[in-house]
Amino acid sequence: MPYYPETSVIKGLARVTRERRLPPGVVHRRTATGPGAQVSAVTVVLQGDALREYHILDVARALRLRKAGPEQVADLITVAPDQRVRLGQELAARGRGKRAQTLLSPVDGEVVSVDDGQIIVQASERTVEVPAKIPGEVESVENDIVRISGVGAVMQCAWGNGRFFFGAYQFLPEEGFAALRTLDPTISPYRAKMIISPLPIERADLLLAQRQEAAGVVAPSMSASLREFVMGLTFPVILTEGFGRRQPTTLIYRLLHSNMGRQATFDAATPDHWRWERPEIMLPLPAGGTFPETPSVTRALAVGAGVRLTRAPWDGVLAEVVALPPTPQVIDNGLRTQCARVRLPNNREVLVPLANLELLG
Amino acid sequence: MGVEHVNSILVADLGSVHTRLALIDLVEGQYRLIASARSRTTAEPPLGRASLGLDRAAQRMSELIGRRIVDEHGDGLFLMPESEGHGVDAFLATGSAGRPMRVFLVGLTPELSLASGARVLASSFITVTGMLCPDDLRPEEAQINALLTGEPDVILITGGTDDGADDILLALLRRVARALGLIRRGTMPVVLFAGNQALRAHVKALFSPYTTVFTARNVRPALDQEQFVPAQIELALVYDEFRTRSPGGFEAVGRSSQVGVVPTVQGTISTVRYLSALPAPGLGPLCVDVGSANSLLVAGVHGQPHYVVRTDLGVGHSFPAALQAVTPDRLRRWLPAEVGEDALWDYAYNKQLRPATIPATLDDLLIEQALARELVRSLVSSARPDWGQGTGELLPPFGPLIGAGAILTEAPHPGVAAMLLLDALQPVGLADLRLDPHNLIAALGVVAYLKPVATVQALEAGGLVELGTAFCPLGRVKDGRNAMSVEIRQPGEQIIRHMVHGGELWLAPVTPGTRVEVVVRLRRGLSIDGRRRIKRRLVAGAAGLIFDARGRPLALPRGAERARRLTAWLKAAMGGHLPEPAPVADDAELRPAPRDFAAPDPGARLAALAESPTWDEEGEDALLP
Repeated sequence: MPYYPETSVIKGLARVTRERRLPPGVVHRRTATGPGAQVSAVTVVLQGDALREYHILDVARALRLRKAGPEQVADLITVAPDQRVRLGQELAARGRGKRAQTLLSPVDGEVVSVDDGQIIVQASERTVEVPAKIPGEVESVENDIVRISGVGAVMQCAWGNGRFFFGAYQFLPEEGFAALRTLDPTISPYRAKMIISPLPIERADLLLAQRQEAAGVVAPSMSASLREFVMGLTFPVILTEGFGRRQPTTLIYRLLHSNMGRQATFDAATPDHWRWERPEIMLPLPAGGTFPETPSVTRALAVGAGVRLTRAPWDGVLAEVVALPPTPQVIDNGLRTQCARVRLPNNREVLVPLANLELLG
Repeated sequence: MGVEHVNSILVADLGSVHTRLALIDLVEGQYRLIASARSRTTAEPPLGRASLGLDRAAQRMSELIGRRIVDEHGDGLFLMPESEGHGVDAFLATGSAGRPMRVFLVGLTPELSLASGARVLASSFITVTGMLCPDDLRPEEAQINALLTGEPDVILITGGTDDGADDILLALLRRVARALGLIRRGTMPVVLFAGNQALRAHVKALFSPYTTVFTARNVRPALDQEQFVPAQIELALVYDEFRTRSPGGFEAVGRSSQVGVVPTVQGTISTVRYLSALPAPGLGPLCVDVGSANSLLVAGVHGQPHYVVRTDLGVGHSFPAALQAVTPDRLRRWLPAEVGEDALWDYAYNKQLRPATIPATLDDLLIEQALARELVRSLVSSARPDWGQGTGELLPPFGPLIGAGAILTEAPHPGVAAMLLLDALQPVGLADLRLDPHNLIAALGVVAYLKPVATVQALEAGGLVELGTAFCPLGRVKDGRNAMSVEIRQPGEQIIRHMVHGGELWLAPVTPGTRVEVVVRLRRGLSIDGRRRIKRRLVAGAAGLIFDARGRPLALPRGAERARRLTAWLKAAMGGHLPEPAPVADDAELRPAPRDFAAPDPGARLAALAESPTWDEEGEDALLP
């Protein structure tokens, strides 16, 4: 019976299609592109408003008209529903000169109601702009979903801090982050570049990257205790494997190494099981006249497939499926579960639960 | 098709990690579980189609029983009705996958209507975003913000006795309607009204211009009367609609199911209600289900189900939140080895990233089992005040005790599953331990909506795994001292005599299904049902017979003794054999040193499998190999 494992796309050349949506809690304002449009990684394709709290403003009280009813203040109101207003903008006014009374907007936002002598303004926290994140062509626009297709090397990762960068990258030297301590940030080769660290990172490493004005950091893993700190950083941090001291997936770092000098998109999306974005790195590449295939995420596991092992003791190791026993097998900890027999890079064959395999898309 | 002609019923449960299918059919005039199958749930991106996983599970089941189930040519998911040995007569679905439904609760008084509303909500996978009642002292602006900024999917309105005073509730509802009128963009919540029936028309008139209005019978028709079931059924319809609107492709599943997608917990509640009606010693059944994202506990107390659902506690998607709730220190009490707090958090977040993975090492398995124990203890603590039974930390005499969720049902050995239930629930006296590996409890609960006789008969036919009876005396005995003298007589076999010492767990080696006579003599200070000598005729379960002389309340050892004792318990639960891990190869053999990424790849064949080209940096268009 076929088994369909999770698929991680780590591919040297692929045609990728990505959907761009507004984050939760953000309402759509404008779609800034259309089908067939060519977009760069930083082209804004969607705009929305992160709306926040409501402010109920009593016009009569603000204008010191204690005995005035709603009808009497209606003529003094200078805004209308759906109107966008800025902090301090006049909403209602009475009189002129020194004795004038005005009601000013307490926030940037939108007038949602003018009724019964009250103005209700909903604050707008900020305008949210969603970039294309991959260079390519807009395939379709449906409501507030924009589908973009591009070609390049794709490396799906494990975790990110929600930031994004498009630009060049640089591998760390053998000494690791320690080598950055003595560099002058103004002439540092890491300035405005993503730093690729094949070793797990620590807080001090991130502070050094910040001091070097790096564009961000890619590393296999870090302690989960750094999550909050990293979420507060203004540059992207991408973990290729996860948390703790985890070994890198060789293939990701080889792909990055073999494409040194090129620019890449570093989408440090914070994973959410119910959202479409996954943290990923994409190296836009010319197709060379070919039409690369779109990675499949619905392939069944088969003998000969290349897989990544996702749990200890072989987490991050790439292996090849050599057999798929039809019945459940007992693994080291006594659990009885469906397994695959895989060949590790040292040619040793081991049993691994099917649930702990990822197909490489 | 009329219900009377329904013979075969296929029930699906769409869990966060697994989609399970159970086929109930008529065999020799009795309904029973025929087959079960499961597949990975495919509701999450990038697949985003729950029906795909359902189809895979159905294909698996078809192969198992040689009966075509999937409708490969028609519009539906399944071949219906059953014909010539293929297809099924009915399809029903429960679900717990997906984001919990956000609900804002509106009522008249915190002690009455809001409390009743909260009890209705406990029957589903819900996050309460806030509450509002006339006593609320916040300014109107703050009240409106509390209602709207939580972005609720549903507003549940309770309050007022039938035909009682309505002015205050109406004034409150006008305020809520005004708030809904402010929503210009974004999602409009639906309204479920389960209050004073005299206000139904007013409620519809107030809210219909803005949103869909569901109504149910009053949860509190009189001050001294509560009725939850009608509101819970309506809430299930609201949940189905919410799921239909949510990402994940639940719509196709809900369309095929005769009851939509019912929250799994409602199925469990329904079955516990039936089990409570069966003659059995004790208060009633207690069922715990530890899932990846959610956990629930449903207990029957004198025929009435009481339940707790936690959408933030689970051993997969919700591992970090669960660890936060139970605290690393409490979890570590169950680990023989010292594991640092940081390592636990790393584990928690990695598990959240890949919730479908399973522990492959003993250390990892013990961490997940430790969390499962503490989650169940936490559920018991939350549920206990509602039971009105028992004192202190001791569990009231529930029976049977049923465990569900893969962490319990797929333990390495039935003895380990039994030990986990004993550790987590700490029952006193004779405990009847069972497992629900096929998710039958929730499935049969929704079957009861369609054909109650099928639920009763399938339960009697025994779709649950009987782990065995556990003897758990009350009291304490010093470690190592004689605690329980056990004598087991089985037909045609030698009498088994064994002394269980204080602090020990012993699983008697009796073949499952064997009828035995057990005599237990307890040391002074220990008792079962107030007696020191117990004689019982029993049938051994999958774990044999279990004798727990660790005392109640269970005192966990500390320091170095902890490692020794927990290992001894695990060894006893595994039937005397601890798993031996195979040696792990040197890391250097498996992965190149970081500086070697530019060097030729020793695993080049693997890299080739992923089609990684190297690029000519000078050329504009490199050619693919």
